[in-house]
Amino acid sequence: MENCEELLKKFTALDGAGLAALDKAYGWSLNAAELRQAQAHFKKIRREPVRGELESIAQTWSEHCKHKTFSGPVRFSSGGKVKKYKNLFKETIVKATRRLNRPWCLSVFKDNAGIVEFGRDKKWGLAFKAETHNHPCAVEPYGGAETGVGGVIRDILGVGLGAKPVLNTDNFCFGRLDSKARLPKNALGAERVFRGVVDGVRDYGNRMGIPTASGGIYFDEGYLLNPLVYVGCVGLIPADKIEKKVRPGDLIVSIGGRTGRDGIHGATFSSASIEEETTASAVQIGHAINEKKVLDVLMRARDLGLYDALTDCGAGGFSSAIGELGCETGAHVRLENAGLKDTRIEPWEIWVSESQERMILAVPPEKLPALEDLLNSENCEYCVLGEFTSDGRLLVTFNNEAVVDLSMDFLHEGVPNFEKKASYVPPGISNRPPRAPGKSHALVLKRLLAHPNICSRHSVITQYDHEVQGGTVIKPLQGRSGDGPGDATVIWPHSATGDLKDFSGFAVTHGFNPAAGRLDPYQMALYSVDEAVRNLLCSGAEVSRTALLDNFCVASPRDPKVMGALTLAAEGCHDAAVGYGAPFISGKDSFYNQSKDAAGRDYPIPLSLLISAVAPVEDVRKAITINFKEAGDPVYLAGVNRKGLGGSVYGELYESGNNYLSPVEIKAAVRLYGAVLKAVKNGFVRAAHDVSQGGLAVTLAEMAFSGELGADLDLGGAASERGLSELELLFGESPSRLALEVVKGKEREFLKLVRGLPVKKIGFVGAGPALELRLGAKRLIREDFRALKRCWKRELL
Amino acid sequence: MIIEVWTKGKYAASEEAALLARLRAAGLKLGGVKLSRLYKVEATWPGKDFERLGAELLADKITESYTLSNRPGLKGLYRVEVWLKNSATDVVGESVKEAIHDLLGRSPAAVRFGRAYYAFRTEEKKLRAAVAKTLVNETVNVFGIKKI
Repeated sequence: MENCEELLKKFTALDGAGLAALDKAYGWSLNAAELRQAQAHFKKIRREPVRGELESIAQTWSEHCKHKTFSGPVRFSSGGKVKKYKNLFKETIVKATRRLNRPWCLSVFKDNAGIVEFGRDKKWGLAFKAETHNHPCAVEPYGGAETGVGGVIRDILGVGLGAKPVLNTDNFCFGRLDSKARLPKNALGAERVFRGVVDGVRDYGNRMGIPTASGGIYFDEGYLLNPLVYVGCVGLIPADKIEKKVRPGDLIVSIGGRTGRDGIHGATFSSASIEEETTASAVQIGHAINEKKVLDVLMRARDLGLYDALTDCGAGGFSSAIGELGCETGAHVRLENAGLKDTRIEPWEIWVSESQERMILAVPPEKLPALEDLLNSENCEYCVLGEFTSDGRLLVTFNNEAVVDLSMDFLHEGVPNFEKKASYVPPGISNRPPRAPGKSHALVLKRLLAHPNICSRHSVITQYDHEVQGGTVIKPLQGRSGDGPGDATVIWPHSATGDLKDFSGFAVTHGFNPAAGRLDPYQMALYSVDEAVRNLLCSGAEVSRTALLDNFCVASPRDPKVMGALTLAAEGCHDAAVGYGAPFISGKDSFYNQSKDAAGRDYPIPLSLLISAVAPVEDVRKAITINFKEAGDPVYLAGVNRKGLGGSVYGELYESGNNYLSPVEIKAAVRLYGAVLKAVKNGFVRAAHDVSQGGLAVTLAEMAFSGELGADLDLGGAASERGLSELELLFGESPSRLALEVVKGKEREFLKLVRGLPVKKIGFVGAGPALELRLGAKRLIREDFRALKRCWKRELL
Repeated sequence: MIIEVWTKGKYAASEEAALLARLRAAGLKLGGVKLSRLYKVEATWPGKDFERLGAELLADKITESYTLSNRPGLKGLYRVEVWLKNSATDVVGESVKEAIHDLLGRSPAAVRFGRAYYAFRTEEKKLRAAVAKTLVNETVNVFGIKKI
């Protein structure tokens, strides 16, 4: 490193190669333009930087902290047309939220999480955030998942003046468990990553006492080398505790874990592809009990008004957290005051270390003694690092020696951004009638039910404590025996509100469809939002109050095709949000999810967009589940069966020659969902289940075996596009459809509400075990629900 | 001092079956497995203090046994010992260190948590490969194998 230290001393005189060599040696992941910008700054102020300053710049300007790709300029070209964006994120996702301008959105895109109004008397805000922790999980699945969960919980603890977490969510993408692909050196197999990630999510969530009760798992070879681990958290915050403001003179107090050498360069790691050799310092193991102590202190300190502002120490550590909190004031940090795990640590390392379980509070000096009493009573460690100033400078010292002395303006606004090229060439699409697979429909259905993207997740779900806090009303496993699938989780957060008379709750769901994204990224976004909204509807949530999160995971943005697909998906998010009246309230993006395979070729993930949705449930006692409930009840299909097997699980199993993706018709869907919701709220609907992966046959099979009741259904009675084939009818995944079990004595009232809409009766729930699907007089499938359930209930782990 | 804790035979069937299945899925042929938890307590204390930690803190009297030396009754097989690297945070070790302070009124210099796996009727080379594939991540773990 002596050579690097020499280079650092003449930083302002280095040429491009020297800057690049220094960047590589120190692991900053700054590009050439950013290095030149930093160099120009130090030339301007006529001195050489010290390492801590360049580390701070690398952290602050990292993709993880700055989201410079998504919020930068983009030039999109497709089919001879060009569209330019100054800020892709603001001109698509944020634009939709601004246009909708919902009064119940209390805080969007400006804090650690989005907050919407919650509860009967509007005294509460509901905060929701989802994050990814992909690169750490690829390297060390258990630790990566744990710290991912810990990080998103801290986002909720650090939103406003602190929200109480009431639900964790988890969505994973892994390579196929039966993959035969040769892995590059140091890459972990899919099963290994899967097991480690599940263990990590389980251990952290369970130890924190937060239910992990909503999510999904998706298998695709595209994720073999780059698994995706989306973790989310929902919290409740008093409506009068949402605003926070640092005041000059406030003390900078770090509470929770100590600082160590673990987690150095986690933020800059996110700006790089995973290489074969990754140092252990970029990953770490979480300590849930330390974070639980922080949670317990914060909830009491918040209500006692012992601090003016707070945020979490996430990527970038002190550098990022104190930099953000003090960006309008300035800060003086004395690193010698930091509580350390190990004294063999350089001052700059203390500054950028991403050691877990730490929060930064801005504490008025006169309130420090009371806060100290509280911290000591919970055995929660803390240290006073310095104070927020009013000079607009970030001054970091160690025993009076400067570690960082930079203007906040340069640090936060100085990052150069350049236009990314984006292009899109649509793939060939065929909408010809699908070829028959040469298998019976029943056999196809059984294969679909056993497919890893459809089969039961019970071996994962049951590892999580989804009952802690006692508010999980609609659980992830549903049905008569509590072992069937579910569309939504419904939470009654009385543990946070303390109000046992207010039965207000909320539902959380997700939409995710990378298979559609391979055919049409714009439609993928629409499909994902449509699925998330429909899932909410299936629990009885108020879909007109849906709030969304977007979490994009993308390969290298240096590839114009990757940026092109991202641009189209972002446009889809805009149009879907406006169309469904569902604003985005928060989001996150993760780039560079690609690696080299064993042969040294680029191995990128498919464009991946997780839509998470939350909506209020007026009265949790009226929430519904997916399973058939009572023999004799009529079954209806809401929505139109449309052509196309594009993006379907069936299309993955059988070569049909058809890859058409039926477009989402948002206006029709919104009208339909509004009417169905009225029927659910009036108690006319006993069960509802969306038609998604596997198609209508899978939906009806899941309703039957979850309810342990058969059904006799004529699918010819449903609203269908002309010329629809049997395969498309049974296994197509066209959007905006849901199957409904209507209460026998309420059919007339139900029909009044859905008059004029494509809601058609297809048969009745049966008392016996047979599920029979017909097309007029022709029997398509007749199977015992128990046999279908056996296929579905395979062990993933 | 290393304190080794294991589940008594009549309660260990499920954890041994799960481990066996994982190793077999990794392509290893073997006759059976046993597993233990290891607590390396760095302190120069009298032996009775470590005995007390084993009996009162680390092992459940009904379902578990412990030893301060070699686990009895295991011979002619391979012992795999897995630890977190010193650079990796050991959360269990830290928690046990606090618990030891609460029990004895003084703290050891450090506590590290590890695992021991015993494999019957197998080959060392194949065992090493299977362990590397399933039970350890060499980014954060170190492990060793010896015949006992």
